[in-house]
Amino acid sequence: MASSSAGQQDAARILLRRESRALRAHVMLPVGLGVAATLAALGTTWLVARLLAALLGQLAGSAAAGWPELAAAAALAALGVALGLAQERAQLAAGEAARTRLRDLTFARLLAAGPADPRGVGERASLVVDRVEALDGYFGRWLPTATLALLAPLLVIAAATWADPQSGLLLAIAGLLYPFAMAATGIGAATASRRQFESLERLSGRFLDRMRGLPTLVLFNRQEAEAEALGEAADELRVRTMKVLRVAFLSGTALELLSALALACIAWRHGGLPGGDPTAGLFCLLLVPAFFAPLRAFAAAYHERMAAAGAAAALAPLLLEPEPEGLLLQEMPPKVVVTFTEVRLSYDAARAPALDGLSFRVNAGETLVLAGPSGAGKSSVLRLLMGFNRPEAGRIAINGQDATALRPAELRRISSYIGQKPHLFRASLRENIRFARPEATAAQVEAAARAARVADFAAGLPQGLDTLVGEGGWGLSGGQAQRVALARAFLRDTPLVLLDEPTAHLDPGTEAEVIDSLLKLCLGRTAIIASHSAAARARLGRVLEISGGRVAGSNRAIQA
Amino acid sequence: MTADLLRVLGLWRGRTGWLLAGVGITMLSALIGAALLALAGQAVAAVLGGAAVAGTVAFLLLRPLIGLRPAARWAERMVTHAATFRALADTRVWFFRRLAERLPAGIGLRRSGDLLGRMVADVEALDGLYLKVIIPVAAALAMVAVVAALLLGAPLLAAAVALPLAVALALPLLLAPGAARAATEAAEAQGRLRAAAVDPLLGIEDTLAANGEAAAGAALAREATSLGQAQRRLAGRAALAGAAGTLLTQAALLGALAWGLAAGSAGVALAVLALFLALATAESIGILPRAGTALAAAAAGARRLFEAADAPAPLTEPARPAALPTGHALRIEGLDFRWAPDRPAVFAGLELEIAEGSHLALLGPSGIGKSSLAALLLKLAAPQAGRITLGGVDIATLAAADVRRRIACLTQDARLFDDSIAANLRIAAPLAPEAALWRALDRAGIGTLVRALPEGLETRCGEGGARFSGGQARRLALARVLLSAAPVLILDEPTAGLDAETERAFLETLEAVTTGRTVILITHRLTGVERPGRILLLAGGWARQAAG
Repeated sequence: MASSSAGQQDAARILLRRESRALRAHVMLPVGLGVAATLAALGTTWLVARLLAALLGQLAGSAAAGWPELAAAAALAALGVALGLAQERAQLAAGEAARTRLRDLTFARLLAAGPADPRGVGERASLVVDRVEALDGYFGRWLPTATLALLAPLLVIAAATWADPQSGLLLAIAGLLYPFAMAATGIGAATASRRQFESLERLSGRFLDRMRGLPTLVLFNRQEAEAEALGEAADELRVRTMKVLRVAFLSGTALELLSALALACIAWRHGGLPGGDPTAGLFCLLLVPAFFAPLRAFAAAYHERMAAAGAAAALAPLLLEPEPEGLLLQEMPPKVVVTFTEVRLSYDAARAPALDGLSFRVNAGETLVLAGPSGAGKSSVLRLLMGFNRPEAGRIAINGQDATALRPAELRRISSYIGQKPHLFRASLRENIRFARPEATAAQVEAAARAARVADFAAGLPQGLDTLVGEGGWGLSGGQAQRVALARAFLRDTPLVLLDEPTAHLDPGTEAEVIDSLLKLCLGRTAIIASHSAAARARLGRVLEISGGRVAGSNRAIQA
Repeated sequence: MTADLLRVLGLWRGRTGWLLAGVGITMLSALIGAALLALAGQAVAAVLGGAAVAGTVAFLLLRPLIGLRPAARWAERMVTHAATFRALADTRVWFFRRLAERLPAGIGLRRSGDLLGRMVADVEALDGLYLKVIIPVAAALAMVAVVAALLLGAPLLAAAVALPLAVALALPLLLAPGAARAATEAAEAQGRLRAAAVDPLLGIEDTLAANGEAAAGAALAREATSLGQAQRRLAGRAALAGAAGTLLTQAALLGALAWGLAAGSAGVALAVLALFLALATAESIGILPRAGTALAAAAAGARRLFEAADAPAPLTEPARPAALPTGHALRIEGLDFRWAPDRPAVFAGLELEIAEGSHLALLGPSGIGKSSLAALLLKLAAPQAGRITLGGVDIATLAAADVRRRIACLTQDARLFDDSIAANLRIAAPLAPEAALWRALDRAGIGTLVRALPEGLETRCGEGGARFSGGQARRLALARVLLSAAPVLILDEPTAGLDAETERAFLETLEAVTTGRTVILITHRLTGVERPGRILLLAGGWARQAAG
């Protein structure tokens, strides 16, 4: 457990280092502006010290500075403010650049991982949105602030040493003590912060899960109990977060203590020196806030780094993985022959394999109906052909070529696939159909809608094919949603058709109609259809019974 | 904006003690900070001016404050954060309850990704209201009051120092409306971004099957760009406000110096005091104008939360629900129903009688309204005309929770939660002993499979039952309904996704496992093994007896 967590941290560090290199130019600009702003602040402070000395000097009977210094101080202060503004804007730009880079990459990798990814949708969406957002702080705030926390105090120490070496030494000592205070409090914060992020993610995932099942909860009168459970989850989150903050705030406290001590020491030193020019002493005294301001910003940003480390550890497995390799499809084959030879696949080592040496062949233009009890491995065959899963052993060939040599996305270009629960997006019927082939013309979309008989029921809807459908097909019956999915397959127009239980939720009348459409779809194409339905078996084509992940009855490959 | 924010404060009423404690300790810590620097200033002025004794006294006073100040700051941060988290947890739960009342029939046309964003991100934006607005304003108010009180002797000096600080105090309110639009855009863009990520992941199989990765990525990038623009506008305003804050504190500092220069030797002590006070306030006043953007962001979050929470409820609960009748015979009289005024009628004058303990099969093609009838019986929707009685009492006069205690339903979209099998089953009967769970699983024909799992009842189901096959998940959902104690069961396509053999086995035992209960079996076809007392065919909004 400890070694895997260390491995995660290493991966996180590698990821952050790689990204820092890529974003160096973005990070250096705010640092430069910050240095300029510090110089302006040093100038202002020097002038204020001289003015203050002049005021106190009046008491002693000599005047050294007046209105010109005041005007200059005001001008420098205004310049400092402008530089600070520019710095903040540059930091925003750096953060945004980092976010864009990482978000696009993360999302592409999540999509590539496909349905085999065991994480819930809420958790995966949180990777793309919240985790990437947490990394924004690393590049937009942490890196520039950390660099400035080193440079700006050095500048202040140099200025103080120039005015009064001993005060400079005092500030240097305070500066050296600071990392010790941070280290003592920061280590605990690192582990606590990781735990807090996991907890936040669980809360998000849990909320999405329960929200989608809200009707189920309401039907069993459990919404109240679930609301209370959500409250408890939020409580747990609070307790964890407070643990992080308790330590995080301690480091802030250490900083304040140091700052107060430095102030007192410098005041005491200069308080003991009667006579002479007080400007140097006052300058050093007034420098104390300027010395600690970048360190304070560092402490505030340190927690961005912690959050970023947690986020990077979660993202690293996804982002550090080498680009998936594989061949590109040279040209779309007009006809497809599919051969499975002794194919094995298991999802979970604890359970029996889903496919246990399955062999069969489907010829070009042939329709094969896979039959067998639930869990026999029918869907697994289709998933392998879609590249959602990879076989552990055996060979899957398309037109004699190894299918797994192709990149999964390329493999999918050959097929039209309808899963057990085709997902409809929150969009019009027309857009939902067009989704299968965005470049299709309006006429092609309408032809597909007619072929799948979507047009029949769309005619009865208020806006026809432009009627809005809710997420997951809200507003449509199961049969209607199935027909929309079928229209997608028609529109896609590929040589291989893969259907998983296409008539599962349909009444006999609708089923007969859908089978009519299916026959039309499979005409001239190679098709593999997993189905329980007797009507589908009787009408669609050759039936292959499978059970326990192999061809029922015998183990021989079917030769056509 | 104001109304929304006041309503948020109202939601937090239960945490008044914590919230006020945070305000109190913040003001105290601000005052300690001011005292520390005021004393330091006095000490410096006294020593340099030659009054060494006064300087020493000031130093002695300074010492305990040095330790007290960091402690007060730590306590301030702990208390204010603890108060915020408590208040935010309350808001989350309140929001979930409101949604449960308002969207019982499902999330409908709302996007679940967007809702998630609302719940998590918008609620968190509300923390700005307390931590970034109320708390800094309280600290700044305390400071400005002290400055004004200490410098009362010299009105011009008090004006020179306190006026910029007072302007900084007013800035958040002046800046908030301008930032509000940017904040609303940012919050909406954030919701859209999340939806753009969730949508293709929810339909991952279909996205991949359509080779839609590039299109989904482009859609996400589009939303990210629009979010980036909104955030840049908002952060740009925050940066401007921050610059204004720094400028104002510098003005107070230089104002004190200018007054000292003009006043000459008589005003030196007071000018030095004012200067150090201005230094002391720099931190708390400098960040104050940023509160304007935080205020706007909190208001935008509040607006979106309330917009979702205030959607009209589909059904109003009777003010004084009738007592639950003892019987549970169902009767439907002259029922008219359509889902929306612009959708076709589902029922027109439907009449139906279902005696206690009878078994009824409801047949009809898909889309004819079989599931709508279940929704009406369960009070998820209300008919436009006619009535439904349960044990002779109109269900419109009964509390929905009471009706649902009598009628349990296996809906087509019955969902398994990302929790253990046992927890999923106990949704129907929270106190059911393990033996009852096994009985229900056996009756649903999935007991053997669960027994073979290494973790048995504690096996997690995954989101939406993803760790099981479609047929297995369906049987788990069925077991959950069988576990419920309701005397009326509605089974909407209970065997969808099951292979023919399992389907037969289940339907053959259905009568035996539901003896004494009313069962309404909604299905699009009969396999021949069911033995329902009656078969009704739904067609064109009417029910027709198909067999005796």
